Amino acid sequence: MQAAAIAAMAAHAILTVTTSQHTLLAPFPTNPSTPAVLQSSFRGVSLKLPCQSLSIAATVPKKPLIVFAATKKAVAVLKGDSKVEGVVTLTQDDDGPTTVNVRITGLTPGPHGFHLHEFGDTTNGCMSTGAHFNPNNMTHGAPEDKVRHAGDLGNIVANADGVAEATIVDKQIPLSGPNAIIGRALVVHELEDDLGKGGHELSLTTGNAGGRLACGVVGLTPI
Amino acid sequence: MAFLRSLTTATAIAAASALPTAFAFSSSSSFKSSNFSNTQSLSFLSSPTNRLGLTRTFASSPTALHMDSPTSDYNPSQDGSLPDLLTEYVVDMKCEGCANAVKNKLQTVNGVKSVEVDLSNQVVRILGSSTVKTMTEALEQTGRKARLIGQGVLEDFLVSAAVAEFKGPEIFGVVRLAQVSMELARIEANFSGLSPGKHGWSINEFGDLTRGAASTGKVFNPSNEGTDKEPLGDLGTLDVDKNGEAFYTGVKQQLRVADLIGRSIAVYETEDKSDQGRTAAVIARSAGVGENYKKICACDGTTIWEASDKDFVTSKV
Repeated sequence: MQAAAIAAMAAHAILTVTTSQHTLLAPFPTNPSTPAVLQSSFRGVSLKLPCQSLSIAATVPKKPLIVFAATKKAVAVLKGDSKVEGVVTLTQDDDGPTTVNVRITGLTPGPHGFHLHEFGDTTNGCMSTGAHFNPNNMTHGAPEDKVRHAGDLGNIVANADGVAEATIVDKQIPLSGPNAIIGRALVVHELEDDLGKGGHELSLTTGNAGGRLACGVVGLTPI
Repeated sequence: MAFLRSLTTATAIAAASALPTAFAFSSSSSFKSSNFSNTQSLSFLSSPTNRLGLTRTFASSPTALHMDSPTSDYNPSQDGSLPDLLTEYVVDMKCEGCANAVKNKLQTVNGVKSVEVDLSNQVVRILGSSTVKTMTEALEQTGRKARLIGQGVLEDFLVSAAVAEFKGPEIFGVVRLAQVSMELARIEANFSGLSPGKHGWSINEFGDLTRGAASTGKVFNPSNEGTDKEPLGDLGTLDVDKNGEAFYTGVKQQLRVADLIGRSIAVYETEDKSDQGRTAAVIARSAGVGENYKKICACDGTTIWEASDKDFVTSKV
């Protein structure tokens, strides 16, 4: 109710002040002639008592009280040290699944693991990006598996020219809300992700996909 | 009242689910930092009670008072020093003696108020107003390898730290943003490869680099804060020395790091920010304190000592 009211209000009033505190992205106005500033809204509310919030968190419904009234868009430009590079665009309507359009060039032909990591910080390479984005504390898997990291996006397959083009539709990588993937890193790997089924000791954590070829931070983009 | 409560609850839920590491403080069974629970040396990590105890300790120390006080009480011009922050490093140390050497060295650094060392995890946690640059240099002087792994304060902000990396080919730089209190953020930036002189820089509304700085939109200016003359995202100018390098530290009132995630930082050719930027980088989420103790990259076996922002695989491509 509350969130719906706020969403309606914001969509109406071109974001004078959004009071919604629980979305990273406020809804966008639909009038293209008034490009509104993307008003996001965590007001830095601090939680001093993790012990208290635990009891709440334990009963968190899978979808918290969030209502979105518009399409959200994000983009990541992937670069590495080699000639591997690409652009990944992400769109999400309301709170539906996120559509990920991938185009990466310069790859060796064949499958390459494609993951979203918890942090977008690559100052210390793979270490500062943290693990695969995993808000539900699962083991590694395939995108279609029930048990998977939210950041497990499977493999993208490069053709003979080294170009991988793919469209991934996924429900676990929202563009707003507590598990928003904005500001996290997309990484394309050297090898195929075995999707947790390779029997290798790394299968259940990383899919044994080898080193990083290129990565990029998911950023906000105008609609 | 009910309105407020429901908002607060929603935020609490959001925060709790977005910050899984918050669980680690009281539940030692599930998360990657749980190995900390069997070390008693870092008392503040072993239980929520102790952790709060530490908060009290800090709060009663006069030098750290403003950590918990409202933004308006903080006056950066008093002595030009920065607000206190916790900074975590992994340091390559293997014995009690080395740990003490590291601790002693850091305690001599201007602005450092306290240093905690957890030898078993090789983690050093520093409270103080010193810049990352100064602390990193001090750690280098001990002859040990050190890597920054987290920044923040003891309050659990949804997002306490962010980083924007400029990866060349000409201009390189790292900008670190950390939330100090509800409405104050600390900014530290290092650049190289810029032309000497003054360059404007700003936080821009989009993190879209498909056309470089040209696709990052306007200077970030949420409608309820700042003015047209000086938008919230205006960071002023960088003074670039004759070597093309610039170093900046400062604080920004009303800046909430969580609001900046996915936007960008742009640097301009001149002081004029109406031109399109020279270069830009996306503001990315970065680890807060205790959020990331990853020391080996399971994907390819790289250790933290080998890691850099350029440890990409190139040989097989």
